Amino acid sequence: MPKLLFIILILLAGCSAQHGSNRLAEELTYQPPQTILNALQSDQPDTTDIAQYYLNLGYLQLISGQPKSAIESLQTAKKEMQLLTATSVSETLAAGTINETFRRYSGSPTDRVMVHNMLALSYLFSDDIEGARVEMLQADVAMKTLIDGDALNGQLASTHLLTAIIYELLDERSNAFISYRFAEKIMLERGLSIPLSLQLALLRMSDKMGNNVQYRYYKNQYPSVVLPANKTHQVFSLYFDGVVDHKREASIVVPSFAGHQLIRVSVPTYPPRYTNSRHNTINDGEQSKNSGLIEDVNRIVREDLDKEYPSILLLTTTRAVAKYQLVQEAQRRDPLLGAIVNMTTLISEVADVRSWNMLPASIQFSYLETDSQNVVIELPNQGRQSINLDKAAQHVILATGLSKDVFHYQQ
Amino acid sequence: MKKHSSLWVMLAAVLVLSACSSSTVERLDPQAQVDLSGEWNDTDAQLVAREMVDDALSRAWLPKFVQSNGKDPAVIVGKIKNLSHEHINTAVFIANIERELINSGEVQFVADAQRREEIRNERADQDLNASEATRKENGQEYGADFMMQGQVNTIVDVEGTTQVRFYQVNLELISLKDNRKVWIGDTKIKKLITNSTLRK
Repeated sequence: MPKLLFIILILLAGCSAQHGSNRLAEELTYQPPQTILNALQSDQPDTTDIAQYYLNLGYLQLISGQPKSAIESLQTAKKEMQLLTATSVSETLAAGTINETFRRYSGSPTDRVMVHNMLALSYLFSDDIEGARVEMLQADVAMKTLIDGDALNGQLASTHLLTAIIYELLDERSNAFISYRFAEKIMLERGLSIPLSLQLALLRMSDKMGNNVQYRYYKNQYPSVVLPANKTHQVFSLYFDGVVDHKREASIVVPSFAGHQLIRVSVPTYPPRYTNSRHNTINDGEQSKNSGLIEDVNRIVREDLDKEYPSILLLTTTRAVAKYQLVQEAQRRDPLLGAIVNMTTLISEVADVRSWNMLPASIQFSYLETDSQNVVIELPNQGRQSINLDKAAQHVILATGLSKDVFHYQQ
Repeated sequence: MKKHSSLWVMLAAVLVLSACSSSTVERLDPQAQVDLSGEWNDTDAQLVAREMVDDALSRAWLPKFVQSNGKDPAVIVGKIKNLSHEHINTAVFIANIERELINSGEVQFVADAQRREEIRNERADQDLNASEATRKENGQEYGADFMMQGQVNTIVDVEGTTQVRFYQVNLELISLKDNRKVWIGDTKIKKLITNSTLRK
């Protein structure tokens, strides 16, 4: 009996942490990022949740204006995810017999690429554009590794867009153009419409490179886009809207054929999508540009889960069989023991609902060229923020729908 | 009964195995070549610095300069850009190059811009606070004749768990007097990295 109690306690211990993280992610929609960051920092992560913890921590640090701490946290998460690309026999065995939360969180394909986006922004807002460039090169390798029979697996338009912006800041024009094209290609493959800012970027870069063939091609593709006259300031504005949905558990309890025991099956799932995308606006007094959707994060996390389903179902079935046999053995020995073991297997059957659950729901982009010394960023429900441009020619601005904070890189 | 026990043993083994880890520490010779992740490391920085400096000092620009100026050239290491896929600490690499150049005894070396600023601040402080006998005057700095600049590039090819990483370090020595490039050197490193598909 003591060994049974010991095992029950261990089984139950792993179940609460993932729900705590999801609760904090829900609170992020109505509490300032700094408050959620403080709450997250007050806890130590389980050894199985290290990557998830540092991904969330790093992102919150970035949007709370602590880019150097964000680099440290996100690098920890990145290393953990790289380490966990190899399969652990003992963890897989635990996932197939107890539940999947015994497996260390290794990140979805989106996490593995998105971490480079957040790191690149953290380096950029720490005034280290070389570091940001390194991250984008690593993201490119990560995306190439993830294409495995599925052209869109782990392919993020936002990563290519950010890469293009960084190349443009470094005046690597052909690299920037290629990256803008990749962003466009991925968006078209996902059936998304190309925002004006990206259409303009393709025209701008083909024109800057003096590539007339490409310029004419994009002029035909996007005839309504007009290149702006040369202005003193370039403003690349990124907007992170909302908080991505987190996974929920879907469970079913059924009696066994003979009716002697109950079998519970739990799988992770996402709730039905409710699209309520908001945009920010950048305004210089003469022009007003709305941000356009580049990455629908809510959609790609669902794509990731769909691809993972065959392995989730396999493990769920294996687990159900193993638990059924365990209960049967216990019942043969003693009916009371069988009932207790059955209860334990029911309680221990939890779905793995861990994810990078504090990511934005969407990533949006707008672009403005202006001679004005100030631009105003209008944030949904967060008011207006004025940004001074007079110290430099090129500016990258990051705003979120979660707080009034606006982050600014200039060169 | 036997089957029942074996299930308990399996469950316990799974729990124990899924939680076990250990770490050990061993002191190593700083010159020892140790490759763990396959990323750029201290061994690469040392090898490249030595190879590049040996090449630079064996070329014609050095005797020509000594012959026409009657003194050893003064060199300063400028920016070495990291255009690679890794966060390479170029400061370590630059320190290795500086050490190799100074130890060669064939060139003079002057401090870089950041360190010069600190030294100038110290001289300004001496100007106010040090005794006349020990005070160092401004305007006595040794001007460099050449600046070494460069970049680290990589090409990464990945297939499954195998990677080929190709590093190319390019350095050039530029005359500060007339912007002439007097030496261009490059060193290449190629690594094959195979990651395991299984872990503990």
